[in-house]
Amino acid sequence: MTPISVVDIDYVALAPVIIVLVAAVIGVLLEAFLPEAARRSGQLLLTGSAVALAFLTVLIVAASRPFGPIAGGSLMLDGPGLFLQGLILLTSGTAILIMADRRVDPGGDAFAGRVSTLPGGEEEREVSRRGLMQTEVWPLMLFCIGGLLLFVTSNDLLTLFIALEILSLPLYLLVGMARRRRLLSQEAALKYFLMGALASAILLFGSALAYAYAGTIEFAGIAERISERTTANTLVIAAVALILVGLLFKIGAVPFGQWVPDVYQGAPTPVTGFMAAAVKVAAVGALLRVLYVPFGGMRWEWEPVLWIVASLTMLIGSLVALAQSDIKRMLAYSSIANAGFILIGVAAADQVGLSSVLFYLLAYSVATLAAFGIVTMVRVPTGEATSLEQWAGIGRRSPLLATAFSLILLSFAGIPLTAGFIAKFGVFTAAITAGALPLVIVGIVASAIAAALYVRIIVRMYFTDPVSASAGVASPSPLTVAGVGLGVALTVILGVFPQPVLNLVEQTSIFVR
Amino acid sequence: MAASLPTAIPWTVLIVLVPLIGAVAVTFLRAPAQQRAARWTAFGASLLALLLAVILAIGFTPAGPGVQYLVSSPWLPALGVSLSFGVTGISLVMVLLTTVLAATVIAAEWRMPVPRGTTQGYLALLLSLEALVLGVFLARDLFVFYVLFEAMLLPVYFLIGRFGGSRRGFAAVKFLVYSLVGGLAMLAALIGLFVESKAAFGRPTFDMTALADMTMSTPTERLIWWGFFLAFAIKAPLVPLHTWLPDAAAESTPGTATMLIGVLDKVGVFGMLVILLPLLPNASVFYAPMVVVLALIGILYGAVLAIGQGDMKRLFAYTSVSHFGFIVLGVFVFTGIAMNGAIFYMVAHGLSTAGLFLVAGYLMSQRGSASISAYGGVSQRAPLLAGLFLVMALSTLALPGLAGFIGEFLVLLGAFQRSVVVGVIATTGIVLAAIYMLWLVQRVMVGPLQPGVDRVREVTVWQAAAVGPLVALLLLLGFFPQTVLSLVEPAAQTTLAGVPAGTAATPSLFGLTGGEQP
Amino acid sequence: MTFLFWILATLSVIGGLGMLLSRKAVHSALWLALTMMCLAVLYVAQSAVFLGTVQVIVYTGAVMMLFLFVLMLIGVSAADSLRESIRGQRPVAVLVAVALGATLIAAVGNALDFSVGLQAANAEYGGNVQGLAALMFGRYLIAFEATAALLITAALGATILAHRERLFPRQDQRTRSVERFRSGVHPGQRPSPGVYARHNAVDVPALLPDGSAVPDSIPGPLRARGTVREIDATATEEVLDRLVGGAASDTGGER
Repeated sequence: MTPISVVDIDYVALAPVIIVLVAAVIGVLLEAFLPEAARRSGQLLLTGSAVALAFLTVLIVAASRPFGPIAGGSLMLDGPGLFLQGLILLTSGTAILIMADRRVDPGGDAFAGRVSTLPGGEEEREVSRRGLMQTEVWPLMLFCIGGLLLFVTSNDLLTLFIALEILSLPLYLLVGMARRRRLLSQEAALKYFLMGALASAILLFGSALAYAYAGTIEFAGIAERISERTTANTLVIAAVALILVGLLFKIGAVPFGQWVPDVYQGAPTPVTGFMAAAVKVAAVGALLRVLYVPFGGMRWEWEPVLWIVASLTMLIGSLVALAQSDIKRMLAYSSIANAGFILIGVAAADQVGLSSVLFYLLAYSVATLAAFGIVTMVRVPTGEATSLEQWAGIGRRSPLLATAFSLILLSFAGIPLTAGFIAKFGVFTAAITAGALPLVIVGIVASAIAAALYVRIIVRMYFTDPVSASAGVASPSPLTVAGVGLGVALTVILGVFPQPVLNLVEQTSIFVR
Repeated sequence: MAASLPTAIPWTVLIVLVPLIGAVAVTFLRAPAQQRAARWTAFGASLLALLLAVILAIGFTPAGPGVQYLVSSPWLPALGVSLSFGVTGISLVMVLLTTVLAATVIAAEWRMPVPRGTTQGYLALLLSLEALVLGVFLARDLFVFYVLFEAMLLPVYFLIGRFGGSRRGFAAVKFLVYSLVGGLAMLAALIGLFVESKAAFGRPTFDMTALADMTMSTPTERLIWWGFFLAFAIKAPLVPLHTWLPDAAAESTPGTATMLIGVLDKVGVFGMLVILLPLLPNASVFYAPMVVVLALIGILYGAVLAIGQGDMKRLFAYTSVSHFGFIVLGVFVFTGIAMNGAIFYMVAHGLSTAGLFLVAGYLMSQRGSASISAYGGVSQRAPLLAGLFLVMALSTLALPGLAGFIGEFLVLLGAFQRSVVVGVIATTGIVLAAIYMLWLVQRVMVGPLQPGVDRVREVTVWQAAAVGPLVALLLLLGFFPQTVLSLVEPAAQTTLAGVPAGTAATPSLFGLTGGEQP
Repeated sequence: MTFLFWILATLSVIGGLGMLLSRKAVHSALWLALTMMCLAVLYVAQSAVFLGTVQVIVYTGAVMMLFLFVLMLIGVSAADSLRESIRGQRPVAVLVAVALGATLIAAVGNALDFSVGLQAANAEYGGNVQGLAALMFGRYLIAFEATAALLITAALGATILAHRERLFPRQDQRTRSVERFRSGVHPGQRPSPGVYARHNAVDVPALLPDGSAVPDSIPGPLRARGTVREIDATATEEVLDRLVGGAASDTGGER
């Protein structure tokens, strides 16, 4: 009889996750014990410092800890994991800056003052008259960030699944909490919840099949079992297929990204930005690890699937984006198309592919956050001006904002001297090296379509005469300015001097198995 | 012309930076009261760039090594990209043309009212366009070439979209979409070259000189060729990818149109000369028959459509389509004479088209219409204006003694060396050119005075002084073509030496058997 | 063992189908309970005693009962619209679901060797519960602890969505009556039509002691329509006379 052994846990290596989750729990306690007036500032202070501290800790861990499994093997400390953790914390921090703004909307921040009140009811008016705010948003954000951090480092299918749930549950709530157009927001939340639950169940089923095949859910064990096989086993193929579906759902790839436009449109805009940036980063990170580590030996089986999914995602994302008249839906489809470009790099399935995906994630996430941050500022009296028609002539009224938005769109389009160009160049190069020329051709066609789309918006901002219903630009607080500014600055800097970051992703892009 | 310049000064970078700094300086002179200062700053910057170009020309040794005054510093080592700029005979000629035209445009539009936006913005865009185009001509790193090639879309896009005519938005977007598609095709080719160079040298490089020594498998080379060719054919523009040009030219200000057709479009042919032929010689030879046929179609099609145009700016655009047919033909018949002719033709065409657009611009700004039928008998009111216009038109239709003649003659001579049929077809283009140009002069300048034309006044001294140098240059090059030819001849020889078809072509009836050539 | 599996598997699939196809929510819940029970027995049969027990206690006992309570308290109407807004969605969905099911069954059935049970694993730590504990507090400690975040999130979310704090002061009978008297409207009952009038028809206004009509005593719709019967003065006189006279002659009087 073996005695139960105590696992040795390296708490320093685990510190980023612990800091964020403990801060989240403290945040819940603050809700209970702080008076209403002090809650918001208290929560902001706590959340901001927790994310900043966690980011510093990631740097310390990266510098000081040896790579390898930690916490009894549940988590893996390695280059990609740490890079993604850092990126998640960076983008989350930026999202929090934009989320904390209470100046662009005269009613308060982007969230409903009390979510439980009926939309349009007497109580809702009273809440906004008193200027109440739902400060539980901040602990929810922290829980979600904690889940994201676990998601990219998990080293077995169980931890992966639990991390997925930890990050999803707060998101389902946050999506339904918009201050304006609340029915749309609640519908989006319900839709996201139902489809997300289904995707989670599919992932879980896939994990169970993987266990049935390998007799273990640890990534290294599965990889070992797969390397031993001589013939194709339908069980493990079904397992990979189902796990892939579960992860591609979170990434928003066609045909599993049906929810993206509705949810991105309905969610409070800063949350949309957070989802498009940090959540997508984490989902791609998890997909990379799952495909490269446990199922790396099966790349001939999953690669064709990824080719098809990537092509469909790029083409459909760009084409449907062209037909949109709502800026948030347009950005949602654009994020779908970007997911397709990321999948090109994933499909390359080697170290070059991995490093190109890491760079793409950085370039894309900072740009998309800034884009949604800018959307929060362009307003009409009833809320954000999401109709593209209302964006006519913004370039003349607010040249700075229009320039920033144009830069971001140009980066999405992959124009040289922006981060998006280096990113696209990276994934295309990786794919050609890996022999995926058709995928690159599809990618270039999709880029051309997407470029037409972004140009259309720039034209609308600069060359179309303003109409009477045109939007104004709210003067944002320094928080939003900092968040958007960071995104725009990184977009330009990474486009002109990408070398340090290229070196970094090249060094970090090896998974420890 | 062989004094060598001190190499401590990065001449090739300096020449790009001067207009760029000028553009930045102009944007700082934002107040309406500073308009005059902004004009002088812009003019000064363009003159300084011209001066630097002339100095560079004096310091250039035609018989020396292919690339001179090379300045290089690593930019993205991971991708093998370095910021390297150097000058060859071909690029030197293009740089001279660009700086001359930029200075002329700024001088010629001194009093042009800017309907939307500010004069300062217009000048800044013009100067940044000049800087980017100069960068493209001088870049010796393919990646930098591509980046600048794409970046120069933006100033043009805003020049058309903000300062253009009534359908400016449409024209600007059409231009941008065409160019972006071309750019993306080029990006694909660039990635292909990157991967190939990594495989060939063990590390990626974008250095044009190094890439010229690389050999690739035939299918790869052809695929990459298509990427670059699409980009350059759209920019040149070659039929059937030319449809953006008439719209863009018709909606532009005369200055923008001059830069667009006189300089920007030359980048397409320049790319064929410095990228397609040296880097992808086998594929170029293989596809040469196709390109020649497209060029011939362009010569005839552009000319026929030009005859039918009722709008002066559209007419000039279509004549340019025809002329670009000649230039591309000169490049792709692979004879030394034709290639010299093509490069010379680019200069001549740039100068004469600039003159046409600017003189027609004076007319249009006074009469307020670009329609040919609104004019008639202008020479009675403004003989000097009509005279300038006539000189430009005559150069365009290749009258001996003017620069246009030399280019066209050399190209035709080269074409006949390669193939009689091609030569004969191309020659009909000259006949058509005479028709559209002379008919235009007749309708606009002579005949009875049309109502509204009596408002037209003679060109001012300043305006004449701005356009005058163009006439002088056309005459100079017409009588002393050797000034330009001596610069380009060695470079053209080097380019051709790398092409398997070689220079020693024997005349034959068709002569364009493509890939089977030894 | 195999025999038991086939029986329980059939039953649990029947339970699952029953849950999906029942028209009434309570029936669905009961079918689901059947499936869960079957699963519990299957767990126990494979030596996972603890899991089987927990399945019964937590799922069947607690979760399902909670479910039934909620159904009874809130009540889900069977009249909920089940019409699909996208035409042809349902047959396509059924088709795809059947195809997916067939593929998965084929994939799993093709490759699965039958389960070996947990005897070996249980023996290693001296029992099922001990073995589970070794995993939960050993290799999967982090995963186990992380579920705490999940539970807190769920509780927090439920609070946000459901908790309504008192935004307006509480209204009891006293505050309401004070408010009513303060507001200045007629606090009591209104006279009904026909009271002290000649007729007690609904369109005849009540009369005040001085003989004038009370307009409020007529129902609003009649007033709006203008079909209020006039009180003619002579009739009032007559009534008054009779009342006064009657009072003098006869204490019973008539109204």
